[in-house]
Amino acid sequence: MPRTKGYPEALDKKLADTRLYEDERHPEFTKTVEKLSMSIPHMCYQCGTCTASCPSAPRSSYRIRKFVRRALLGLEEEALTDPDLWLCTTCYSCTDRCPRDIAPTDVIMAMRNLAFKRDIIPVNFLKTVQAIYTTGHGVPNNDVNRAARKKLGMNPEPPTTHAFPQYVKGIQKIIDYYELKKNADRIVKEREG
Amino acid sequence: MREYAFFLGCIAPNRYPGAESASYKTAEKLGIKLLDLEGASCCPAPGAFGSISLEIWYAMAARNLCLAEQMKKDIALICNGCYKSIWEVNHKLKHHKELKEKVNEVLKTIDMEFKGTIDVWHLAELFYDPEIVGVQKIRDSVKVSLEGTRIAVHYGCHLMKPRKERHFGTTEHPTWLEEMVGALGAEPVEYRNKMLCCGAGGGVRGYDLVHSLDITNEKMINLKEARVDALTEVCPFCQLQFDRGQIEIEEKFGVKYNLPVLHYCELLGLAQGMSPQELALDLHGISCEPFLQKVL
Ligand code: SF4
Ligand code: SF4
Repeated sequence: MPRTKGYPEALDKKLADTRLYEDERHPEFTKTVEKLSMSIPHMCYQCGTCTASCPSAPRSSYRIRKFVRRALLGLEEEALTDPDLWLCTTCYSCTDRCPRDIAPTDVIMAMRNLAFKRDIIPVNFLKTVQAIYTTGHGVPNNDVNRAARKKLGMNPEPPTTHAFPQYVKGIQKIIDYYELKKNADRIVKEREG
Repeated sequence: MREYAFFLGCIAPNRYPGAESASYKTAEKLGIKLLDLEGASCCPAPGAFGSISLEIWYAMAARNLCLAEQMKKDIALICNGCYKSIWEVNHKLKHHKELKEKVNEVLKTIDMEFKGTIDVWHLAELFYDPEIVGVQKIRDSVKVSLEGTRIAVHYGCHLMKPRKERHFGTTEHPTWLEEMVGALGAEPVEYRNKMLCCGAGGGVRGYDLVHSLDITNEKMINLKEARVDALTEVCPFCQLQFDRGQIEIEEKFGVKYNLPVLHYCELLGLAQGMSPQELALDLHGISCEPFLQKVL
């Protein structure tokens, strides 16, 4: 299967050089990732069990072991700018099998959170936020479905925020508390015009 | 009759309403009443939302939990993704005081408070639990035996994994859902790499559809090898990935499988005598006809 996402050129060059440069290490990155993930990537001994368990590994250049290494060495730039960061399906196979009791999945989630703080995020993630902000649902109702629900003798709108839209306000308040909608709109606009 | 607040999520009510309808009806026959959880929202999607900000994901899921707390009912749900958000956030907030305080600060702005007074269950685990329903009662409720059909099970990821946080035992080779399929008269069939992910999660379906479908395709190859009549699962998002995904796989890779994919509640509904119309099986991307012909 062809790769559908390429590496940025600079990162490609960087990865060809496997030496570790002290000035690229940010120990606070390790600490932040550990706090956010509630896990312990510094305990990793690079056995590769995680990569061997990973459904994304055989069909891409994504290597979860590499990301855990980046977490433990504090290689922030390399971790957050690598587009493979977004290929984890969060299946938790690595987490169930890691012999050091690390949760590589949660390490990835923590890194994604940190990437987002720097506006590094694929737009599809933001579009889910926009949908939830507007309707309460990430996958909202549609006419075909409404007709089918009616035929089943159900309310065309499920008893969620769809039938009770007055609840959407609370959801918007939570999202706005973190200014997430504002940022999502801004980034989507920057990318898509 | 035990009562639970039914957390619907998005994909069941908005894409597979038959699965929702079947849940109310099958559960009721097994002594479980599912009540509307008015004003519930997306769980929110653990992959998409959690990747952006775990903190906001906690707060959003907590709002849904508060609605059930107000009803003084435990939550039952039928989606692994919802389980990840609703079960896990409930669990985390109950056990991390600092986290709970942070979330409650936000919830205060909408006059809500997470108290930690309820539990969250997947309907499938309630069905399996002998103290609540149990396999024997499922067997006794069958009107139309699924005898003569070979059915494979997809467990999905976010119900049972991470194993240490959950309570389902092995995630390498579980068999409890197979037992529940066997109770309907069907033959549960093992297949290669059964615990492999459907490929949709973590935002990957939206980020890189081909990559995501390639994982699904690997599962489809393994399922084909096992010569099954249908695949059953307990997660509408996995269902979408296998069902609509087969159409996308045909478009992208040029292979066709035509394997019917049914949520366990739909399958149970059939076995309890619901008609394909009552289950809105015509909304499925892949026709269930060949399977239905063997059954009805
Ligand atoms: S399985 Fe655990 S110890 Fe082994 S490389 Fe992966 S994270 Fe490190
Ligand atoms: S959770 Fe992510 S990194 Fe771990 S095995 Fe699954 S896809 Fe790979």
